[in-house]
Amino acid sequence: MLLLQPENLLIQKTFSKALSEDYIPATLDRVITDFDFTAYHISTPSDKTGILLSVGIKCWADLIAHGTLELLESIYSKYSSFLQILSDGNAEPGYNYGLYLELGKVDLQNGEEIATLISDLSLLKRNCFAAPFLEAFGRYEVLAQEEPVDPNNIYGEDAPNNSKEPVIALGYRDNESIFIKPSNDRVTVIFSTIFNDETDKVFSKVFLQEFSDARKRSIQKAPQVINSHHDIPLEIQGLEKENSDNKKTYITFVLFPRHLSTDEVKWNSITQIETFRSYFHYHIKIVKCYLHQRMRFRVQSFTKILNRARRDVTEEELRSERKTASGRRFEQRT
Amino acid sequence: MASINTPAVVMDNGTGMTKLGFAGNDAPSWVFPTAIATRASGSSAKPSAPAKPSFLNTPNVAGSSGSTGGSFGTSPSPALSSIKRDMADLDFYIGDEALEAAKGPGYSLHYPVRHGQIDNWDQMERFWETSIFKYLKCEPEDHYFLLTEPPLNPPENRENTAEIMFESFNCAGLYIAVQAVLALAASWTSSKVTDRTLTGTVIDSGDGVTHVIPVAEGYVIGSAIKNIPLAGRDITSFIQTMLRERGEADSSLKTAEEIKQKFCYVCPDIVKEFAKYDNNSEMFAKYIIDTVSGRKITVDVGYERFLAPEIFFNPEIASSDFLTPLPEIVDGVIQASPIDVRKNLYKNIVLSGGSTMFKDFGRRLQRDLKGIVNERVSRSERLSGAKSSGVQVQVISHKRQKNAVWFGGSLLAQTSEFKSYCHTKQDYEEYGPNIVRNFSLFNVPR
Repeated sequence: MLLLQPENLLIQKTFSKALSEDYIPATLDRVITDFDFTAYHISTPSDKTGILLSVGIKCWADLIAHGTLELLESIYSKYSSFLQILSDGNAEPGYNYGLYLELGKVDLQNGEEIATLISDLSLLKRNCFAAPFLEAFGRYEVLAQEEPVDPNNIYGEDAPNNSKEPVIALGYRDNESIFIKPSNDRVTVIFSTIFNDETDKVFSKVFLQEFSDARKRSIQKAPQVINSHHDIPLEIQGLEKENSDNKKTYITFVLFPRHLSTDEVKWNSITQIETFRSYFHYHIKIVKCYLHQRMRFRVQSFTKILNRARRDVTEEELRSERKTASGRRFEQRT
Repeated sequence: MASINTPAVVMDNGTGMTKLGFAGNDAPSWVFPTAIATRASGSSAKPSAPAKPSFLNTPNVAGSSGSTGGSFGTSPSPALSSIKRDMADLDFYIGDEALEAAKGPGYSLHYPVRHGQIDNWDQMERFWETSIFKYLKCEPEDHYFLLTEPPLNPPENRENTAEIMFESFNCAGLYIAVQAVLALAASWTSSKVTDRTLTGTVIDSGDGVTHVIPVAEGYVIGSAIKNIPLAGRDITSFIQTMLRERGEADSSLKTAEEIKQKFCYVCPDIVKEFAKYDNNSEMFAKYIIDTVSGRKITVDVGYERFLAPEIFFNPEIASSDFLTPLPEIVDGVIQASPIDVRKNLYKNIVLSGGSTMFKDFGRRLQRDLKGIVNERVSRSERLSGAKSSGVQVQVISHKRQKNAVWFGGSLLAQTSEFKSYCHTKQDYEEYGPNIVRNFSLFNVPR
C-alpha cells in the first residue's frame, strides 16, 4: 500500500451491506475513527431502517468559516429524497454533522448509482476538508484574472502585492495546522507538524529531502515542496507563534496552475494534500518496520554463522571432561 | 494529551481470525483471517520494479543522514541482497484480500500466528501496520491499544510486541491482556452472573484447539491448563465424512461448515435422540445450496445434527487417540488448581469461541460435570462420614460467546480507568521493553 486510501473502509463496508438487496435491518451503534481526530458514529437512532452517520472533526469551526456546509450541501443534496442532512443544532450531540439515510426510501435503481452514493458517504472527511481548498482555488482564479502573471518574472517570485492576501488556517490537530494562501499564479499550502519522537524527525528530514530532490531529477510536474525545520515560512509569519523549541516542521507545497486546471485535477490535489500528514507519518512508520526487518534478518544470519563456528566435541573429549557434582573427575582404571 | 479522548483500539490476533475494532462498540469492526500474502521470493524483484516511482529507486540519497536512506537497501553484501526487495515490502495484502491475492500467481500466503503465539515478527509487524492504517484508519500516536495474548505466552513475546508497538508505531499507550481474562469479563453481560469476578474456568474453543483455563482473580493458573486437540475444524471434518459416506450430492468443506453452523445442536442423550429421529422423520433437515449455475442442490442433514458436537462429550466417535470427554477434562483442570479457589472455579465456568455456540452446549456440560462432582462429593461423605456443604456447578453461556475475547477487551478498554493501567510511550522510553512484563490488573467494579 503506497498511498493511503481517502475513503473510510468501515463506512464503505457498513453502507454497502445496508444497501445490498439481502440486508436484514439490524440495530447499529458503533464508533469509528479516521485520521486527525475525526470520529464517526454510525447508529440507528429510531428504527432499524434509518441509519445515522455523524461526523466530528476537530477543526469544524475553521471549516465552516470557509464554506464546508455549502459544499456538503451541494454534494449530498442530490440524494435529498432519502438522505437528510443534519447540521448545526440538529447534529447529534458531540458531533458536528450528520447524514440520516432512510433505507426504505432509497430509489436508486442501478448498482452504479448506489456505488456513487456509498463512495460519497465514505469520502465524507475528504469532502469536509475540501471547502477551504476550493475557496482558495477560486480566489486564485480571481486573482489570476485581475493580475495576469508577469512574463518577465522568470524566477517565479511571488508578486509583492500578494502578501496582503489573507491566509486560511485550519487547526486540524492540536498545535498542528494547515495554511492555505492563494495568489495570482499559485496556491501555497503549508503544513505544520510535530514529531514526538526524535528518530522520526530524522526520518522526516530524509523524506522531505527526497521530495524536493525527486522533483529536480525526474518528476517535474509534481508540486514544489519546501521544508523547514526551524524557521516559520514567510507566508505565515504573522500567524504562527514563535517556533522556539524547534519542535515543529513546516512543509510547503506550491500548487501551480497545472494542479488546478480542471475539476478532476483539483479534486485529486485536494485528496492527496488532505491525506498528506497521515501519509507522511505512515511512511515514516513503515520505513521503521522495514529497518526492523533488516535488523532481524541480520541477527539471524549472525546467529547462523555463530552456530556454524561451534566445535564438535568428540566422545573421547567428552569423557575426559565429565565431572561429578563435587568437581572430581572419573578416572578410568586400566 | 488529545489521545485521552479517542477510543482505544482493541486488537485480538488469533491463530485463525483477527478481530479489530474500537472500544465501546459491541462487535469488532473487522473480522478477517490472520493471513498475509507477500510476493513470493524469487519473483519479487522483477514484477514489483515498475510499480515503484523512480525517485525512490535511486541509491544516492542526498540527505544529510545517509545512513537511513536508500543506501541501506543497495548494500552489496550478499547476505542482504538476498532479501533485497524494492517495493516488495509494501506489496502485500492482509486478511480476506490476502486469501484473494494468494489465488493468483506471484503471492504466497502466510499465517504469522501459530498456536496463538506470534511466529513471524516481520509479517506480524506488517500485518499490524496495514490493520491500523488501512482498515482502522487511525494514527497510532493518537490511540491507546489493547492487545491480547494466549495464556502462558513467554514474556519475551510481550517485549517484542511492545517494541513494535512503541518503536515502530509510537502508539500512545499499550495494554496486553490475557485472552482468558477477557473472556471472563465478557461473561459479565450474562444475567446469570451476579458478582463480577475475574475468577472462573474458561473453555475457549476456536477452530484449531480447545483450551480449558482456570483463572483466579485475574491470574491464570498456568500449571493446570489443559488443551484438547478437538475443535471446530474437527467437527467440520466429522460432518464432511458423514456426508461423504452417505454419498450426498455436495460434501465440500463449505457445505459441512454451513451445516455445522445452521443445524447442529447438543442433545442430552444420544440413544434417545436416535430413537427420536427414527420415529419422527421431521427431525431430518434439508440444506439447499444455490450453485453458481443457478441449479439447486439439496443435501439431507441427518444424525450429524447432534452427533457432530457430541465429539466433545464422546470423543471416541471421531478420534482414536484422544478419548477423554470434555467434562472430565474440566473436572481434572479444576482439581489440579489450588484447593481454595476450586469452589469458585466450579461456580463460574465460562464459554468462549465459535465452537461453543452449539445450542444446549452449556447445559449438557453443566449436567455431565455436576454428575462427576456429585459422585465425588457423595463418595467423600460416605468415606469420611462428614456432611459436605455441597459444590455449585454453573456453566455460563452468553450472547457474545463468538467474539468473547474481543468483546471483553472492548468492555474493559472503554472504562475510564483503562488508560491509567496502560503503559505509555514515556514509560517505555524510561524503563525499556521489560516494563510490559507486568500490567496491573483491572480493578473489578462491584
